[in-house]
Amino acid sequence: MSTESADPGLALHHITVRFGGLLALDDVSLRVPPGRVVGIIGPNGAGKTTLFNVICGFVTPQSGALTLDGRPFRPRPHQLSGRGITRTLQGVGQFNGMTVLENVQVGARRRDDDAWAALERCEVAEHAHRRPGELPYAKRKRVELARALAARPRILMLDEPAGGLDTDEIRWLADLIRDTESTVLLVEHHMELVMSVCDEILVLDFGKPIALGTPGEIRSNDRVAEAYLGTAA
Amino acid sequence: MDRFVFLTFDGLSRGAVYAAFALALVLIWRAARIVNFAQGAMAVATAYVGYSVADATGSYWLGFVVAIVAGLLLGAGVERVVMRFVDHSSPLNGVVVALGLVLIIQGVLGMLYGNEFRPAAAPFSRDAFEIGGVALLSRYDLFVFAAVGAVVVLLTLLFTRTPTGLRMRAAAFAPDVSRLLGVSVGGMLTLGWALAAAVGSLAGMLVLPTELGLHPTAMDVVFISAFTAAVLGGLDSPIGSVLGGLLVGLLLSYISGYLGATVAPMAVLALLVIVLLSRPDGLFARSKARTA
Repeated sequence: MSTESADPGLALHHITVRFGGLLALDDVSLRVPPGRVVGIIGPNGAGKTTLFNVICGFVTPQSGALTLDGRPFRPRPHQLSGRGITRTLQGVGQFNGMTVLENVQVGARRRDDDAWAALERCEVAEHAHRRPGELPYAKRKRVELARALAARPRILMLDEPAGGLDTDEIRWLADLIRDTESTVLLVEHHMELVMSVCDEILVLDFGKPIALGTPGEIRSNDRVAEAYLGTAA
Repeated sequence: MDRFVFLTFDGLSRGAVYAAFALALVLIWRAARIVNFAQGAMAVATAYVGYSVADATGSYWLGFVVAIVAGLLLGAGVERVVMRFVDHSSPLNGVVVALGLVLIIQGVLGMLYGNEFRPAAAPFSRDAFEIGGVALLSRYDLFVFAAVGAVVVLLTLLFTRTPTGLRMRAAAFAPDVSRLLGVSVGGMLTLGWALAAAVGSLAGMLVLPTELGLHPTAMDVVFISAFTAAVLGGLDSPIGSVLGGLLVGLLLSYISGYLGATVAPMAVLALLVIVLLSRPDGLFARSKARTA
């Protein structure tokens, strides 16, 4: 599970995070090679979003380190985009006082071209001049995805992108994740989506990494079943 | 009727200054959720700098430009050195610090320049043109309209047509989301304060020649009028602040003209109370504008 390598991509080395007396992440290591889709799953409170927050620089670990392309990486939120990393948030964190196009332009590398390309890719270009708050929830989720894609990220971090979506929307999302050229880090509760798109999955339980492997390996892992179901499979 | 026409034009001219000052308050409110009660004192401070340069060089326009630049620097400095370190968990903290800044700035100005009124020259005649025997606007009024109009147009272009303006708006709506999109929220805040203070400085340079002149507290009453204008228009609404400024200017002009100048300050306060009680979000504010 632990990876100490200078290979291209993002790597987390022995990350530990405490919030007061709570051990949110306990010696977590993960390697995210370029072009892969890596899922992070676990029950509520497992530390998935905390791990994302460490990668984004919102949370500073008490110990451990990150590397990007083999070099030390000290993330700061406003510098992430410049390093080729973008993240969506749980729910829809949009600028409701701005139009859909303006929302996407904020994150776009090339203000107009990339914004329109991302809107078209996410099939919300016809709503470009409306405000996100006027759109149905599923469309707003697509706008959020478009905003992340407009930055043309190397690493795309998706935090529960399937939350609140119906089956058709989740199928569309799965196709998008499979088709993207970006490396994808996916935190998600929807197991069917995770199992269908991920190359590798890290399972956390109470902040501890309990399994890392392919979807098939994770499906047959007793510790994972116990963590999710409270009983050995 | 002649009087009404004159008071209307006079009110619009005065209202344009309130609009600019209210716009400065709205800029900071939208960026930082702080009502900058120090805006008036900051504007006076930069006006002192501007008029000092004008006196030393004999050039009003050089002093005018220096005052605006001083506003930019003072605004950026206040944000970087003071406001950035305020605990924003309670909105009251920023207000208290801003009020403290008022006392400090006015105290320092009193020590440096004294507490007597000093003349503030106007660059153009304030004698109104007469058309058909009716006094309308002075050249100075036209200058005020042009200056405030230019600021409104430039700010509108900045916020709607430029990447920087887009980032400033994004940072104001949802700072954490903006950071993830590569926006330097701190930098945008500094820029917002700088722009707001510069607009406040412009308003100060425009209004002081029409009042008693330079004095550390010279902008206090103007601040109350502009604050009323901002509340009237909605603290979240730049357009509302401009319309609010014009409305307050007109109201004050009519009240001063028909009821006497001594009634005007009370009328402003009465209007402020009425608006706060009946439409606390203002007449033009978009509801839920910052729910991202």
